[in-house]
Amino acid sequence: MLNDITIGQFFPGNSLIHRLDPRVKILLTIAYIAAVFVPVNWYGLGLAVLFLVTAVALSRLPVKLLWKSIKPILPIILFTALLNMFYVGGGTVLWEWGILKLTSKGLVNAAFLAVRIVCLIAGSSLLTYTTGPTTLTDALERLLGPLKVIRVPVHEIAMMMTIALRFIPTLVEETDKIMSAQKARGADMESGGLLQRIKALVPVLIPLFVSSFRRAYELAMAMECRCYHGGEGRTRMKQLHMGLRDAAAVAVMLLLFTAMILLNCWTAPVL
Amino acid sequence: MAVLEVRQLNYVYAAKTPYEKHALKDVSLQVEQGEFVGVIGHTGSGKSTLVQHLNGLLRPTSGQILLNGKDIWEKPKEIRRVRFEVGMVFQYPEHQLFEETVRRDIAFGPRNMGLSDEEVERRVQKAATFAGLREELLDSSPFDLSGGQKRRVAIAGVMAMEPQVLVLDEPTAGLDPRGREQMLRQIERYRRENGTTVLLVSHSMEDVAAIADRVLVMNGGEAAMMAPTEEVFSRAEELEAMGLSVPAVTRIFMALRRRGYDVGDNVYTVEKAVERLMPLLKRGCRPC
Repeated sequence: MLNDITIGQFFPGNSLIHRLDPRVKILLTIAYIAAVFVPVNWYGLGLAVLFLVTAVALSRLPVKLLWKSIKPILPIILFTALLNMFYVGGGTVLWEWGILKLTSKGLVNAAFLAVRIVCLIAGSSLLTYTTGPTTLTDALERLLGPLKVIRVPVHEIAMMMTIALRFIPTLVEETDKIMSAQKARGADMESGGLLQRIKALVPVLIPLFVSSFRRAYELAMAMECRCYHGGEGRTRMKQLHMGLRDAAAVAVMLLLFTAMILLNCWTAPVL
Repeated sequence: MAVLEVRQLNYVYAAKTPYEKHALKDVSLQVEQGEFVGVIGHTGSGKSTLVQHLNGLLRPTSGQILLNGKDIWEKPKEIRRVRFEVGMVFQYPEHQLFEETVRRDIAFGPRNMGLSDEEVERRVQKAATFAGLREELLDSSPFDLSGGQKRRVAIAGVMAMEPQVLVLDEPTAGLDPRGREQMLRQIERYRRENGTTVLLVSHSMEDVAAIADRVLVMNGGEAAMMAPTEEVFSRAEELEAMGLSVPAVTRIFMALRRRGYDVGDNVYTVEKAVERLMPLLKRGCRPC
């Protein structure tokens, strides 16, 4: 019942994108998100799409996977596009009904926006698809490292994130087990009104809480037994290395920005 | 008529995904009323998957489960009825307790059955006695009990539904030797006095050998053997090929026989071993 929930969308692989340094990947993703908003016409946006398509091709991810991450956002995209379609005036009027007015400019604007959002989502899911959750938090810890100066407990935050991610599948499994056990005792979770269903969850939630606390205590004990004392002076099993590959990726991103800005200067804006 | 019958049961986990796993393959078996069946098998052999089919927690990919001759999935809406008839105690059942008092926790199943307050109370008392819970424990919080006591509460919670068939998945896991023995004795007493059919899933060959009438051996999702206990444990080589073993005492007796001692076969409990060894010791213990 619960096994179709996928948390942490990591899709293991050994492609060029998978092997990029996660820190670089995070920064590049942020840069790409910014880059998507630079172009003012189709040439620039086309470049952004081209960049994304190349990156996806390099990552060797099944296209279906990316579609899966866009699908849930589709209603939002459509809604935004629809709003823009009627909100932006100008150009020739194509269709009119009461206060609703569909103009050519509105149509173009809606399409432009939709492509932008799709790029945004596909680009950021490329990061989570090609980077394992632990690697991701590891990289985040490093990137946020400078905040230690102003006493932000970066290591502790990252550790909490790692533990939380690690225990999601365990808790899902546990929930499944407890639900089965209560169903075996005749608990009815599939029928009744809203209130009844909420009540029916009590026999599941209480044991789940109890076992989460038990697990937390056990984990804390195990960590203390191994002399865990926070991030200070800690070395890492997996060292992150930036290499030529990462430099090349940064260079490509810079190139994208330059090209987009130049295109913006030389060609007419669409909006 | 068999109380429980499994016909050509197949079950596929996560069908049509890369994680697809054929967990049960053409499993067929019959369990008679009042019988004590031990279910053994290597980890991942499908024994837990099989028992979760018996009370309708999992729905077969193909095949049928008949309870008293009727397909349990005939009316999917009434599957809860089947769960009251086939009581299921999961592994580490102490993790499912949630009520404020032991009494109320044991009463959860009977209450779901829609019984009257008096009947629920009668069943709680009876089940608590069978599970070996003292009266004064009934009003304490289940979270204050020891691990062994918690498990007893959980088992009593299923016994209180007075099912026709009681399925226990590793009820002795993690208990000390005395706790194990006590638990098994209590289950056996419950079966004798109520005429309940019992299925016991276990990793412990000793437990199964001591208590089961028949043994079902699961291997790679198939029912490899379903035979009287002595017959199953006389096929030691086959069991070992499946990553299982025979009880330690049986192994000792097999070794003794190989060395020429006339101790006979079919020894799989300590009691029987003593019975066979005594005459031998009196004779002066020499190979004949």
